[in-house]
Amino acid sequence: MIADILTGAIRSGTSVMLASQGELVSERAGVINLGTEGSMLAGALGGFAVTVWTGNPWLGALAGGLCGLLIASIHAFLVLSCGANQLATGLTIMFFGMGVTAFFGRDFVSQQIVGFNPVALPGLSDIPFIGPILFNHDPLTYLSILLVPLLWYVIFRTRVGIMLRTAGEREEVLFASGVNPKLVRYLAVLAGGFLAGIGGAQLSIAYTHSWVENMTAGRGVVAVALVIFASWKPARAMLGAYLFGAAQALQLTVQQQGLAISPFFLFMVPYLLTLLALLIVERRKKSQTPEALGRVFAGEAGG
Amino acid sequence: MKQQASTSTNTIALSAGSYSFLARVKPWAIQALIMIAPFVVYGLFLLCYEVNPVELYVSMVKSTFGDLYGFGEVLLKATPFILTGLAAALPAKAGLVNVGGEGQLAIGALFATWFAVFYLNDFPAWLGIPLMMIAGALGGAVWAGLVAVLKVKGRLNETITSVLLNYVATFTVGFFVHGLLKDKESFNWPFSPEIASSLRLPIINGTRLHIGFVVALVLAVLVWYVLTRTRLGFRIRVLGSNRLAAERAGMNINKMYFWVLIAAGMLAGIAGMIEIAGIEGRLRASTGANFGYLGFLAAMMAWNKPLRLIVTAFLLGMISVAGNTLEISSGLPSSSVNILMALVLFFILGSGRWAKR
Repeated sequence: MIADILTGAIRSGTSVMLASQGELVSERAGVINLGTEGSMLAGALGGFAVTVWTGNPWLGALAGGLCGLLIASIHAFLVLSCGANQLATGLTIMFFGMGVTAFFGRDFVSQQIVGFNPVALPGLSDIPFIGPILFNHDPLTYLSILLVPLLWYVIFRTRVGIMLRTAGEREEVLFASGVNPKLVRYLAVLAGGFLAGIGGAQLSIAYTHSWVENMTAGRGVVAVALVIFASWKPARAMLGAYLFGAAQALQLTVQQQGLAISPFFLFMVPYLLTLLALLIVERRKKSQTPEALGRVFAGEAGG
Repeated sequence: MKQQASTSTNTIALSAGSYSFLARVKPWAIQALIMIAPFVVYGLFLLCYEVNPVELYVSMVKSTFGDLYGFGEVLLKATPFILTGLAAALPAKAGLVNVGGEGQLAIGALFATWFAVFYLNDFPAWLGIPLMMIAGALGGAVWAGLVAVLKVKGRLNETITSVLLNYVATFTVGFFVHGLLKDKESFNWPFSPEIASSLRLPIINGTRLHIGFVVALVLAVLVWYVLTRTRLGFRIRVLGSNRLAAERAGMNINKMYFWVLIAAGMLAGIAGMIEIAGIEGRLRASTGANFGYLGFLAAMMAWNKPLRLIVTAFLLGMISVAGNTLEISSGLPSSSVNILMALVLFFILGSGRWAKR
């Protein structure tokens, strides 16, 4: 049973994890994107649709990412080019995503796809206990796990990462060194949308193999919350996402065991757990929020 | 930028005649363009689906202003948007972003139904309805109280906690309508028993419009009065515009955050009660779904001004009613008007720099 829950933690946590890595990139550059929920929904639908049409889940995942990017581009344009309020814009995009996907997704409800299935890595998956937990997942999950150290390396060890972090802390410095902070932020938001879109696609074409209206059910919001929980560090965001996934998996397991707990209480657990995690972190230490976060271009340098 | 703009208006104001005319017309023209543009974009979208947008817009206006019933329907739709809009606008004035109207409305509806079904059955209307409304306000206050405590004691950002709690609220309502509040004669449908007919809000003849609309109007005016005409309102606005100044002036900021959020929750909770007592008559898992978010959007469209909010809520009401027309006349799902609402907002948000006064 414990092995089941841990396997499920990774399986159902992957979509949140991808979205939170994307949000992390965006916030490192100084832009909060609550529209992550919208990007995930668009990714889930776009990915599903393309998988239905082509039969190729890889193309589906790519399309999902692009759909997420497209939604994020609205956020980037309104926030960075028009100076709109970040939270308000993000929420509108969340709502927009719900409307648009409900509209275009109508014909895809109840359609069946093959999608991604778990691939047991030969040898590794035979390791007792750990094997089935870690090495029997869909390809997107493997890639998402590889993404975490890659992102850590890019953010903390490369020039691109320095530019990204500077955009989120002191845009004036970036501007003075001849880099356009707006461009850096644009790219960060778009990258974030792309990852959120793939996260959404993982949900529809690898985890559930179906499209249901509003199927992300707040995972995008959880992803944003997890970035705070993770104090803007990729590995901790991964941990948080798997914790959320574990709560989801626990809920399924408890239901299968037929325990007399109302399923509705179990549905709440992941959200309450996210709140609790935020509380504990906030108690523990001073927040390490990127300085320019949320106040992008309040005092734009010469631009 | 700002300085430039203000100097140019100064020169214009000083010079006479046509210049000042231009200065007066231009912001209005921009505002009008911003309001028209999303309808044009949405019209193009409709054309792709072989729906004539002109016909839709004409029927939208006709169904709103054509007869009393239609006008009542729009006001009916606008009612919860005004209240959940206030639940966003009031905290916004104090510098808070409350997106929890959705959950606060749901829990308000839950409390109101609970009291109506279990305690208020035999009460006369003059006593039962106000008590039910208090129950709704209490429910909203409890839910907003969670956000407030997390904000004040836990130092958590109210935007994120309020959205997360919206999902918890939905599941809470689901739990009750599948369990303790389930109608035993409903053949397993998940909804509550119907509330007593004496608890239903009185309606205006020839429409479905009920007295809840007046309640919403009164509360909007009340919030406007408190914000603009009282010392408390002044303190709230100071807090919202300059937290540091508020701190220096010796205000108890946490206390103000707490009570502003509680008041917001009460407003949204009353919206939930009105949905039950005014329209639905019983609680469903889907009661008031999206009303909180739409109210938030209405508040943003009104730049968080309570009186303007009445207008923007009316506009959203019109669009909502048009959604039903759209579904009946052309087979497009009613959710497609959400796209129009979002478009309206995108244009308003994007224009903030130029049009905001």
